[in-house]
Amino acid sequence: MAFSILRILTYVLGLVGTSLLLPLGVALWKGETAVVSAFLVPMLAGWGVAVAFWLFARRRPRVFDVQHAFGTVGGIWIAICLFGALPLYYSGSFASFTDAAFESVSGFTTTGASVLSDIEGLPVSVNLWRCETHWLGGLGVIALAVALIPLLGIGGFRLIKAETTGPDKAKLTSLIANTAKTLWFIYLALTAVQALLLWNAGLGAVDALAHAFSTMGTGGFSTRNASVGAFGLPAVEWICTFFMLLATVNFTLYYRLLTGRFGDVARDSELRTLVALVFCSVVCVTAVQFTSWDALGGTLRSSAFQVASIISTTGFMTDDYLAWRPAAQVVIFMLFFVGGSSGSTAGGVKVIRWTILGKQLRNEVHHILHPHEVFTLSINGCPGRGAFVPVVASFVFVYMLLVLLTTFAGALAGLDVFTAFTGALSMVGNIGPAFGQLGPTSNYGALAAPLKWFYMFAMLAGRLEIYTLLILIGRTCFLRRSS
Amino acid sequence: MQLARALLLERNDVVLIDNDAERVRSASDQLDCTVLEANGNNLESLEAAGIASADALVTLTADDEINMVTCSLVDAVYPRIQKIARVRNYAYYTAADVARRRAKSVLPASRPLYGIDNMLNPEVEAADAISAALEHGAIGSVIELDADFGITTLSIGEGSPLVGKPLSKLHELEGWHYLVAFVESADGTTSLPNGQFTLAVGDQVGLVSRLSEIPQLGAYTKTPQEKLRRVVVFGADRVGALLLARQQEKRHVSLWRRLFGRSAPDAYQKLVVVDRDPERCREAVERFPDVRVLCGDVTDEALLSEENIFSFDLLVAASGNHELNLVTAAYLKSRGVKKTIALTANSSYGDIARKLGVDVAVPMRGTVVDSIRGRLRGGRVEAVHSVCNRRFEIVEGYVSPKSRVVGKKLQDVMDMGAFLVLLYRPADGKSYEMPRGGTVLEADAHVVLITPAGDTRLVARFCGKE
Repeated sequence: MAFSILRILTYVLGLVGTSLLLPLGVALWKGETAVVSAFLVPMLAGWGVAVAFWLFARRRPRVFDVQHAFGTVGGIWIAICLFGALPLYYSGSFASFTDAAFESVSGFTTTGASVLSDIEGLPVSVNLWRCETHWLGGLGVIALAVALIPLLGIGGFRLIKAETTGPDKAKLTSLIANTAKTLWFIYLALTAVQALLLWNAGLGAVDALAHAFSTMGTGGFSTRNASVGAFGLPAVEWICTFFMLLATVNFTLYYRLLTGRFGDVARDSELRTLVALVFCSVVCVTAVQFTSWDALGGTLRSSAFQVASIISTTGFMTDDYLAWRPAAQVVIFMLFFVGGSSGSTAGGVKVIRWTILGKQLRNEVHHILHPHEVFTLSINGCPGRGAFVPVVASFVFVYMLLVLLTTFAGALAGLDVFTAFTGALSMVGNIGPAFGQLGPTSNYGALAAPLKWFYMFAMLAGRLEIYTLLILIGRTCFLRRSS
Repeated sequence: MQLARALLLERNDVVLIDNDAERVRSASDQLDCTVLEANGNNLESLEAAGIASADALVTLTADDEINMVTCSLVDAVYPRIQKIARVRNYAYYTAADVARRRAKSVLPASRPLYGIDNMLNPEVEAADAISAALEHGAIGSVIELDADFGITTLSIGEGSPLVGKPLSKLHELEGWHYLVAFVESADGTTSLPNGQFTLAVGDQVGLVSRLSEIPQLGAYTKTPQEKLRRVVVFGADRVGALLLARQQEKRHVSLWRRLFGRSAPDAYQKLVVVDRDPERCREAVERFPDVRVLCGDVTDEALLSEENIFSFDLLVAASGNHELNLVTAAYLKSRGVKKTIALTANSSYGDIARKLGVDVAVPMRGTVVDSIRGRLRGGRVEAVHSVCNRRFEIVEGYVSPKSRVVGKKLQDVMDMGAFLVLLYRPADGKSYEMPRGGTVLEADAHVVLITPAGDTRLVARFCGKE
């Protein structure tokens, strides 16, 4: 069993190592010779480990069960986050390995919380790597590995299930590798389209690619201190708003669109709720922020951007929402609890879970009024999905428990209660900015090192939807099996 | 038994096979036919019963698989024999229908599935009958003859303008252009009326009209008419579920048609179903998202009051307990439900239902027996419907080219009081019309007759020999 786990771990490290080719190429292109070795050495190390293990264990049987799948995924994510921190640390851009690790975890988990105050001072290649970590972590490195490495075929679905978000995980095609390939192809295509649009709208090639990575991964890292707002280009803001929302949608729906199953998309409960939420939030914020008819266009753009940024858990900014009117801030605060769609790159509780709980609440109220009436819970037009209710309820319970625990950790480290609470929501929901001392114009650099490590745990737990990491930490996977 | 009795009445040679000794003994005592105690799915037993010389095989056991396999077995050796099977499993029934249509489009000469020429599902037939009655306002049972015409059985109420008038004078009433097909008096006597016949309060009349005009018939008979906006269905098992499925199909009207077109009134009905079985309720709520499902006993006064069932416009009692259906329908009618339809075991419950105040009684077995008789009648008969507690039958068929009535005027072949030609459609015609005395009968014309039950001689005069 250990061989199976190590095999996957080393292959994924090899894959992430390969992805360093892009920043390495940019470093060479931009003449950033000082950071070439920071990318080259980890890349070669990743390849070396993968090739060595392949030679050593290629004839070993591939066995996998559910418990090991969860443990393996948790282990892999910790490993790639630490591996991704190596180029950042050795680039000399970060004061300590803790900061580099925080930035890497924040990147892979698509949180987008940064410890840096002067992002524009970083080498371009390092900035690109930060954004690329969002893209790799967005749809999931393990899904990418399953798509690209046929050797992982057996047990691949279990691994992807442990990595994918949302309560209902289904295969699009009979082979999980084909499902993973399809989703990654859609992801790649959307990223390419956005990068081209941003480039066309006036951004440089690296900026366009970096922001496309960040947007599609719903991460939030930017190449500018003032995030997307620094460009001052309305077209760029609208493009980012549109693609942030696209990245918030369940990627399997794009596959259904491509295969002509429009009815499935129209019936999708989560998409319908998401559209309604976004529409209502944008209207509310625009109405609250309204100053004059002349400024309406700008207010609408700013409101739509910020709503898309928070509901998609991206964390980009064009405006400091802490300077907004209180009612508009409350709308943004409420969106911290929502999250994107299941099967998307967004974090948070997920719209489908709130939809299920909302429908169950409606059924409960109706049942009080009509005790003899029989109710069913329909999701995506399919009735009889009541079995999801306890699963979702327990997830929301654990999620909120983790938020409270993280709030306590923040308060212990000296943060005020509201900052600690919104910071916890932001970390567990992989959003990035919070309120108070951790608002959109602030950063996480000043936090104490132990709190940064706790926040790293919270980000990872949020990205892997808690259970994966709980199982790993609870040692149900390794120790109980070996005892 | 009921089918065998009907077939014997039509002077058919019937052999009944059953493996239950008690049922065989009972049938032998009651029926004038050969009754064998044997397994029907054994070819040797069937050959001993004379299957080789039979015209048709009808399999009606409680087991769908046995019915289908027996037909398949006989088809392998005697493909020319017409085979009819009762199939209660709706999945089998629809699957066979789909397979038949697909096979026809791919291979027109292909044999039917399992060699079964006709699959009959009693629940489907009953649900269709209830659906037809419901669609036409539940003012009486409706026999739909084609897309345009039907025969509605109505009761003459107090103050009806039809009372005391000879039928030949009814055309003087404003807007009256209907035909009285049969009359069942309050004392139980039945007749095929002539022009001098006068109607009385309490008589049941069968009126031929266009389907779209059925709601207007109530104004003449003084049958109370209600808009059926709120409908409660008792029983979510086979017939109830099929009925709900039919109603759900009618509800699927596009937004455009809802706003600007003419859509079925059923599309706006509020449906509630009551069943005591939690599992059936769960299935119903998942299958019919637009229908409210109540789990409980329909005799539970608390449930009826809480959900305000007494104020509903229509109750359809369609559970598997036919006696309870009648009692429930009668009770709820007495408590304020405006119209009631009850599914009953057979047509002999019709009188009881009427006496209890139930508006429409749909006999479960009667629909199947009629369906089988229509298919076995031979000649150019298309369908047979029993009315007046099986004393008369309405026969749909084509005029045989060899028939002696071809080329004659209707008034020359009519035998008033013995039979009536209700509707006529020329061979090249598109829709039915009510025939007149001067109508000349053409070969291959479509006719609807009403004759005394079992009078095959009369039918053969029009539609050819059996």
